[in-house]
Amino acid sequence: MSTTGAKAYPGGPALLLALLLAIPLVLLVAVASGTVPIALPEVLGSLLRTNTDTQASMIVTQIRLPRALLALLVGAMLGISGAAMQGLFRNPLADPSLVGVSAGASLGASLAIVSGGVALTGFMGLTLTSLGAFLGGLTAVMLVYGLATREGATSVTTMLLAGIAIAAIAGSAGSLLELGTSNENLRRISLWRMGGLDGADYQRVWLAALTAVGLCLALPRKAGALDALLLGESEARHLGVDVQGCKRQLVFWVALGVGVSVALSGTIAFVGLVIPHIVRMLIGPAHRYLLPASALAGALLLLIADTVGRLVLAPAELPVGIVTAALGAPFFLSLLRHRREYGL
Amino acid sequence: MIRCLVVLLLLGVHSAQAEVRVTDFIGREVIVPAPATRIVALAPHVVENLFSAGAGDKIVGAVEHSDYPPAATNIPRVGNHNSWSLESIAALRPDLVVVWGSGNAGGKLARLEQLGIPVFVSELRKPQDIAEAIRRLGILAGTSDHSEPAAKALETALATLGKRYAHATRLSVFYQIWNDPLLTVNGDHMISEVMNLCGGRNAFADLAQIAPRINVESVLSRDPDVILASGMGDARPDWVDDWRRYPALAAVRYDNLFFIHPDHLQRATSRILQGAETLCAQLQEARQRIAAEGSIMPPS
Repeated sequence: MSTTGAKAYPGGPALLLALLLAIPLVLLVAVASGTVPIALPEVLGSLLRTNTDTQASMIVTQIRLPRALLALLVGAMLGISGAAMQGLFRNPLADPSLVGVSAGASLGASLAIVSGGVALTGFMGLTLTSLGAFLGGLTAVMLVYGLATREGATSVTTMLLAGIAIAAIAGSAGSLLELGTSNENLRRISLWRMGGLDGADYQRVWLAALTAVGLCLALPRKAGALDALLLGESEARHLGVDVQGCKRQLVFWVALGVGVSVALSGTIAFVGLVIPHIVRMLIGPAHRYLLPASALAGALLLLIADTVGRLVLAPAELPVGIVTAALGAPFFLSLLRHRREYGL
Repeated sequence: MIRCLVVLLLLGVHSAQAEVRVTDFIGREVIVPAPATRIVALAPHVVENLFSAGAGDKIVGAVEHSDYPPAATNIPRVGNHNSWSLESIAALRPDLVVVWGSGNAGGKLARLEQLGIPVFVSELRKPQDIAEAIRRLGILAGTSDHSEPAAKALETALATLGKRYAHATRLSVFYQIWNDPLLTVNGDHMISEVMNLCGGRNAFADLAQIAPRINVESVLSRDPDVILASGMGDARPDWVDDWRRYPALAAVRYDNLFFIHPDHLQRATSRILQGAETLCAQLQEARQRIAAEGSIMPPS
């Protein structure tokens, strides 16, 4: 990327179109591959409900498809949330976990387990543990937001720092909780932390779909405001942007999206951090395209990563977080090397 | 009697002096100047094995979750299995510390040795190792009168089970630690050895990790004859019945969905005999169910 300006970028619509075409193809590959060999015609037959082999059609429609859909939806939520966070904080390192969502969710899950919530099942395929994770994530964000807001203005720098502090507090509270708890709860906590997309079913898919649709409708409406915020807060205010209202809404949607993602599939690293960077390098920083493209690219990366994780050690599984980090970290390093040519 | 002496000599015990020498499970020679009377046990299974060796009353310190036998709950705690206080251990003035090799030996072994306390490493891989551990701990504590018969009894009972099922139809068994994430054990785990003893074989013995994460499809492709759930406690976990959604699975077809209390299979103590007896009985039941359907021929 030696030249700058509009010429260097092939344009948002082209990337959106390419991603929209790639996703169904990768989805088909994901649904067609797994430990049990199933021929492509049978896979298609199962999807179209014409397959008579009940075992094969069950594997395709009840195991592989919900998992692939959940990967797409969670990836989309993490991607678009990451793009919105980086825009809001005007900081290339901003990641949804930076405002304390992941650490708060982890503590919430531990609290739910320790207080005995595991025996009960919640609603929509969520256990009370996941509900605890969601509430924990939300509480952490509200705390961070409250700490950073004074006299009706929220300082982004304070929010970042408060996010780090709240994450540290939640982390140490979680460790303390583990020291005092029974062997059984300790094992439940570590098992929950390992949780991933393998628990996918259609209830979880529906919950993820509802949240993802909400996010993908609400966040792009703030694209103009995010563009203006890139100039600086007071500049945005002079341009007529309701900066405070915009921040509040962005933080709410990101907390909701990341909270639901963590509750459904555990914490997944790097998607929210790296995807917006990739997209920005390709099509520039205009949020009108950056937000939807980050959603689609996040969906694509997580689906690829999850499929790789399912296949590479089969019949054992590689946790998806390891794959996203393995794909994301080298990219992140190369990003650091080319920083001079790339300004956020 | 002669056999007993030979065993003692093989273990490197020199009864000429009051000093006791025993080789531990990672091949180190452990020397105590006199039979140990103040023992610190740094893993719940070690506490249980010391009680089996008749040395329960000599334990002065233990770690969290040392809950069996009930008398063990009264022993003062020095920490948990992966972080314990060196100071508390030293303050107890122990003449022997027993650590769990893969669980907590690591770099901490050296720190204990620097304090001049003899350290015995317990690293048990096979059910027979448990009997051997009870025997060696008894020698260190000077309670061989109690430990030797206990070790023998366990060895005999395990050998009897092995003999009884040596020629039984081999069934593939999937041991399910947990449902979400779906976890099992590989061939290195003691549970896998117990399966072999009962004429079963671990469906996922070939995997690389000791407690690998798998998925539903992996279970469908290996199609085990028996699914054995662990869960967390006394109760059979509800999620065992989730497998009924896949009627094509052999284990579901023959209704071979079982549960064994995790403490009876996952702890390297003499209670493994209970777990093994239950497992052998369950596999026998599974064989009968399969034979009734006539799809697998009974052994000739």
